[in-house]
Amino acid sequence: MTIHRRSFFIVGALLLVLLAMAADFVVVKIQVTAVRKTPQFFAPVIAPLKAGDRLEKISESNGWVQVKTVTGVIGWVHSSALETPKINLLAANSTMKTQASASEVALAGKGFNKQVEDSYKAKHGELNFAAVDSMLQVKIPAAEIENFLRKGRLGGLGGVK
Amino acid sequence: MRPAGSRFIVVFLAAAFGALAACSVIEQGTDVLKGTGTISASQADMLKKTSETIRSTFGDIKEEEEYYIGRSVAALILARYPVLQNAALTRYINTLGQATALFSDRPEIFAGYHFLVLDTDEINALAAPGGMIFLTKGLIKRCRDEDALAVILAHEIGHVAAKHGLQSIKKSRLVDAFQLLGTTAIKAYAPDTVVKLTALFEDTLGDIVGSLVERGYDRKYEYEADEMSVKSVLRAGFDPSGLTRFLQTMVGDKSTASGKGWFKTHPTPEQRIAKAGETIKTMGTLPQLLDARTARFRQAVAGLK
Repeated sequence: MTIHRRSFFIVGALLLVLLAMAADFVVVKIQVTAVRKTPQFFAPVIAPLKAGDRLEKISESNGWVQVKTVTGVIGWVHSSALETPKINLLAANSTMKTQASASEVALAGKGFNKQVEDSYKAKHGELNFAAVDSMLQVKIPAAEIENFLRKGRLGGLGGVK
Repeated sequence: MRPAGSRFIVVFLAAAFGALAACSVIEQGTDVLKGTGTISASQADMLKKTSETIRSTFGDIKEEEEYYIGRSVAALILARYPVLQNAALTRYINTLGQATALFSDRPEIFAGYHFLVLDTDEINALAAPGGMIFLTKGLIKRCRDEDALAVILAHEIGHVAAKHGLQSIKKSRLVDAFQLLGTTAIKAYAPDTVVKLTALFEDTLGDIVGSLVERGYDRKYEYEADEMSVKSVLRAGFDPSGLTRFLQTMVGDKSTASGKGWFKTHPTPEQRIAKAGETIKTMGTLPQLLDARTARFRQAVAGLK
């Protein structure tokens, strides 16, 4: 029984440490997004974010997460841009690293990645990846979308609600 | 036979580490327990293996992987259909689609939502994983107002948000891919691994395109996307009955467009009208069509032949 008790203690302590670390941090999972002043897409941007950026989670409200950046900026990011890392060991080793480490970057690019796409592309010259690239270049500025919504009296910006 | 307590610890550890996969800690933890004699070397290996094969379902596909799968699905769609060359309409569709996505269940996605019109009279709309969405000229011509088009775009955004494309990947395929990928951090794959991964990638694309273009999704996914679409456009302030107005134009269709595209891969318009109608009925007072929205829609589609 002594061994079992000790084992349970070790397992329990490990899990508690892991859960405590995992609960407080979130990581940006999309290419680019931003910390906004209030929990709305058209609120002023107060800090740009990119994939892999680690943030301290403060609170959550209606799909928005209140976060604190490494430089101390506090604001809101939509939850669909964030993931909760299952483990924050890398952060723990250096008291909350905010930049992704080299191994995290490598892990992030693992799986079906550009290397696999390039290999697939080389086998299928008939596929039109140039058209896909130009499709992805069409990005409508936020101000234009806001104006579009306002003119169409949409999204609470024009008073339809 | 090993004591029951020991077996319990192994099972408990496997489950716990399954939820919290981290190779270094698992290795350290299992080594500690192995050192105490609580678990055997083979059990320690099993625990490590459990942590390594933790990715097993479509939900474990990373956002960036979804993007790369989506890019190739998009390239396959663009190999079947020509792109409509109409910059003003492309911009309008992207503005409307990106605005509509803000009210969806997944407003932010790896590289953003992007929309393209295909130059065909077939009536169809297709969403590649990762937010690359296609709709045909034939479908746009059936829409009478912006609200109807918004709800169709929201239906496709719904497929992306709920990862219906990724769900059509065969489970065995994912298991093979995740096993091949392992968990070791590397800068680039060895040539033989790339060859195997490319073959799996190709089969994965086949699963998705087969569902998307040929067989259609499971009917329940179509109803789910309809429900998501009427709810999200209502949040935006559009009239959700744009969906039923559009579907009504397809009832009893005997044109050359019938039998292809949406007609082949979706439930009948009557079935969808009935289902979506039930949801819309519960929504109370609906937003009205607005002349300003309909006018800009008509201007954007004016040149379509």
